[in-house]
Amino acid sequence: MSVLLDVQELQTRFQVRKGYVYAVNGISFTLEEGETLAVVGESGCGKSVTMLSLVRLLPPAASIENGKVLLRGEDLLELNLRQLRDVRGGEVGMIFQDPMTSLNPFINIGTQMAEPLVYHRGMSKSDALARSAELLEMVGIPDGEARLREYPHQFSGGMRQRVMIAMSMSCEPAVLIADEPTTALDVTIQAQIVDLVKELRDRSGVAVIWITHDLSVVAGIADRVIVMYAGYIVEEAPVDALFEDPRHPYTVGLMGALPSLTGETGTRLTTIGGSPPDLIELPDFCPFHPRCPYAIDRCRKENPMLEPVAEASDRGHRAACWVDIRDVSVSSEAGVAAD
Amino acid sequence: MTTQEIAVTSEIEIAEASPTNLWRDALARLAANRLALVAILPIVLLFFIAAFGPYLTPYDFLAQDFTARLVSPSSEHWLGTDELGRDVFSRILYGARTAVSVGLVSTAISLVVGLVMGSLAGYLGGRVDMLVVWLTDVTRSMPALLLAIVINLTLKVPLEAWMEQMYLATKNTFFRQTMWVDLVLVFGALALIQWPGYARLIRGQILSIRSRNYVLAARALGMPTGRILTRYVIPNAMGPLIVAVSAGMGGAMVLESAFSFLGVGVQLPIPSWGKMISDGLRMWQTHPHLLVGPAVMMAVITVSFAWLGDGLNDALNPRQWGG
Amino acid sequence: MSQTESSNGVPLVRVENLSKHFSVRIGAYGETRATVHALDDVSFNVQRGETLGLVGESGCGKSTAGLTLLQLHRPTSGKVFFEEQEVTGLSEKEMRPLRRRMQIIFQDPYSTLSPRMTIGNAIGEPLWLHELATGQDAQERIAKLLDDVGLNPAFAFRYPHEFSGGQRQRVCIARALACEPEFIVCDEPISALDVSIQAQIINLLQDLQEEYNLTYLFIAHDLAVVRHISDRVAVMYLGRVVEMAPKERLFENPLHPYTNALLLSVPVPNPRLERQREHTVISGNVPSAINPPSGCRFHPRCPLAFEPCDHVVPEWREVEAGHWVACHAV
Ligand SMILES: Nc1ncnc2c1ncn2[C@@H]1O[C@H](COP(=O)(O)OP(=O)(O)OP(=O)(O)O)[C@@H](O)[C@H]1O
Ligand SMILES: Nc1ncnc2c1ncn2[C@@H]1O[C@H](COP(=O)(O)OP(=O)(O)O)[C@@H](O)[C@H]1O
Ligand code: SF4
Ligand code: SF4
Ligand SMILES: [Mg+2]
Ligand SMILES: [Mg+2]
Repeated sequence: MSVLLDVQELQTRFQVRKGYVYAVNGISFTLEEGETLAVVGESGCGKSVTMLSLVRLLPPAASIENGKVLLRGEDLLELNLRQLRDVRGGEVGMIFQDPMTSLNPFINIGTQMAEPLVYHRGMSKSDALARSAELLEMVGIPDGEARLREYPHQFSGGMRQRVMIAMSMSCEPAVLIADEPTTALDVTIQAQIVDLVKELRDRSGVAVIWITHDLSVVAGIADRVIVMYAGYIVEEAPVDALFEDPRHPYTVGLMGALPSLTGETGTRLTTIGGSPPDLIELPDFCPFHPRCPYAIDRCRKENPMLEPVAEASDRGHRAACWVDIRDVSVSSEAGVAAD
Repeated sequence: MTTQEIAVTSEIEIAEASPTNLWRDALARLAANRLALVAILPIVLLFFIAAFGPYLTPYDFLAQDFTARLVSPSSEHWLGTDELGRDVFSRILYGARTAVSVGLVSTAISLVVGLVMGSLAGYLGGRVDMLVVWLTDVTRSMPALLLAIVINLTLKVPLEAWMEQMYLATKNTFFRQTMWVDLVLVFGALALIQWPGYARLIRGQILSIRSRNYVLAARALGMPTGRILTRYVIPNAMGPLIVAVSAGMGGAMVLESAFSFLGVGVQLPIPSWGKMISDGLRMWQTHPHLLVGPAVMMAVITVSFAWLGDGLNDALNPRQWGG
Repeated sequence: MSQTESSNGVPLVRVENLSKHFSVRIGAYGETRATVHALDDVSFNVQRGETLGLVGESGCGKSTAGLTLLQLHRPTSGKVFFEEQEVTGLSEKEMRPLRRRMQIIFQDPYSTLSPRMTIGNAIGEPLWLHELATGQDAQERIAKLLDDVGLNPAFAFRYPHEFSGGQRQRVCIARALACEPEFIVCDEPISALDVSIQAQIINLLQDLQEEYNLTYLFIAHDLAVVRHISDRVAVMYLGRVVEMAPKERLFENPLHPYTNALLLSVPVPNPRLERQREHTVISGNVPSAINPPSGCRFHPRCPLAFEPCDHVVPEWREVEAGHWVACHAV
């Protein structure tokens, strides 16, 4: 497989009244052709800002300070706005968290769906509409042709998300970026959407970046996983390795915090004490140390780099931690000073 | 690595780092807003003049000096004198009283009416709500100045006649002062024009706050309705109201000037800036000093209230505070 | 605590055929009146000291059940008993002493605290209202409550906006505890929180339950969380409870097709299992509560639907001790 997207040292910050919020702090990752990469982390850890930076869809207060975003070798950060528009919705399709607000409530579905086809593909309006109807059927909305005339409020949340998927897939993108596409949906609908994306991916070979805060969803869809914390990638691994052999204390904490549907009950959940930091300064220490049960002196003085982990580096397993946590045991409820 | 020190900073310390409170923060925001600060100065000055004007004025506002009519600004009469030889500067200082009392009283009346109507509409809903909304719509659909003129024309004569009768019946000299009729009519007209705005604002606030979970939580705690209103609903409705009142004060003053300009305002002898402007306009080419003083005051005060209102709006809205 | 108790002893809360319908206006100009069947004919008991979980998809009536139970909505029909005392039909004033004993915690910790009130005052309100403590006593109680929920007592003078979501939820819990309640409705108390914070709050709720012998009605849409915290679980679909059982039985042997479908939809945090797992995704959406399907409300989506399902409402019956279900196929 060849590298499709190569992100290098991406850094994005927001200008705020008190100074800056350092939302994304020099992260690098790659995405291969046809691969599904999941990005997990709690809210505010920089997942959305990272993805919006890739296609420069950031709010005005944000600025990309550094980095390269190479899509098949071409740096998206160097493109002018015109070229960038061809990429957005063309090479790169996007789906957002809130299916309620990502569609224009005043324009019917058909017109909204046809637009990118006319713009990117140069189709005639009637061809575009015909294709849109097909796309609707493809994402599981029967009677597509009739529904093109309907408006977003006539669709349920799950169906709107299907429409969003149909739209983002309409120009056969190379990359589909999905930012928490199922967070606002019920489990049964979430299962439907996950299945739909998997099916489309297998059929068209599109590479997917799936952003979520829910580790359970990751297990079912991802090939590889990136865990983010405070604007840094703290761990990166193939999905099996991440679940079986997590190496960063934050990843371990996230997994311990999940109640499960099987196995013992009546046990206590392990927790991560405290809450995520606000990012008003770039830390010169490990940003996780106030919550980390494994922290050593060094953690308070130096910020660890993302590096291959011991005895598993061949799998592309990397973590940013000074401690090899396999050597240490901590009590299951360490780090819960708050309780 | 064998023993690891388990270091955990608790949430407690993290949150300790930002000791703030909403109102203090709002004040700090206001203080950081240069426009609002600049605006506060003339407003404070205005209230000061209104309170102490009579002790500051070099001349009585009524004192006519026929030897010095229409004189230009000089060291004796800083802003000159008018047709009747009255000192313009003194009259401007007295005019501040009219402006402030119009602003305060008419805003107070319309606020009270608006509060009652708005809360009833918001809390009771249904028919009451529909009625109040309809009333506000009707009132707002009428041109403000026209309304004032109509009120003045239809009510002034009967009211004055009634005062006269009362005087004859009671011999109380209070009823001799027909300027009260003017004041009542002006305040009444202003309140009539302004209450729908407050009523709508309060209704909206109550509707949105009533559905907040903290009101539900208070009900779940068994809180009586009165306490829910005073402790939860009203404090949370305050912010936008304070802003509206600030802007409304300036608005009322401008309206009063417009009334005076049209001859339905406070009639002489109480000086009113609007009246002075309209008089000044008649001879602005020959005696511009009659116009400049009151016009500048009027402009400064309205702009100040607008800026202060904006500043309060930003200061009281946590969403405006940024990261 | 114990599910076997469900057949003996007086339940703390008993809900009998409770319904709540809302009258709404629909159509572009609100020209038509319609009835939302938010809660229909629901019955269950909650034993003292246990946690009854209530799960279901968005809009199925979970919150309505909690709010109607607490008389924060007037029920359309049905009865609620608290320790065998009927609470339906009581006036707000007559309710007040009972309000102290039954509390609620909401989903959204951001809108549940008045932004203009210090958290100390917020927690002090119930103390004052129910005359539980005054003056210095009250201050000490507030400090103790904050400590109980894992917050620094010095926070009493702060405003809600200075706290994170998890901390606010702790404050809400402290406020509910201030009444010294016996029963708390937890309406999705963790849904708005991050995963790591969710675990903190779950542990806190469990600790408090043990310490104060609390009884919970725990509403959630996350099945794994409900399984973790509950003793018994009730599953709702479109205004009705379709299945209720001790949690082991419900999760190991779900009888209702909807429960089954719900369980299969939950992703498992294990990639190997997830790849092998059978994936029968349930099709379609939850229909509108305005015109709920006739008969069994699940029939348009049910893979097992047969002859009587679309016109006969399945009976709510106990198929084994403590295991209730409403389905023709069981
Ligand atoms: N005040 C109301 N007026 C009209 N309809 C209402 C009202 N409150 C709730 N409903 C309707 O009643 C049904 C049940 O709502 P409820 O809030 O109980 O759902 P829920 O199960 O708690 O959902 P969620 O998981 O989204 O919180 C929904 O169809 C909802 O739209
Ligand atoms: N418009 C904005 N102004 C200032 N800070 C922002 C803005 N949007 C996001 N941030 C900050 O950037 C960081 C990352 O946010 P985001 O990428 O949205 O997180 P998530 O991982 O939940 O998607 C957070 O600290 C957030 O507060
Ligand atoms: S570097 Fe130190 S503080 Fe950071 S995660 Fe590793 S052990 Fe914890
Ligand atoms: S009653 Fe019929 S439709 Fe309803 S769940 Fe049972 S089998 Fe399915
Ligand atoms: Mg996000
Ligand atoms: Mg709810």
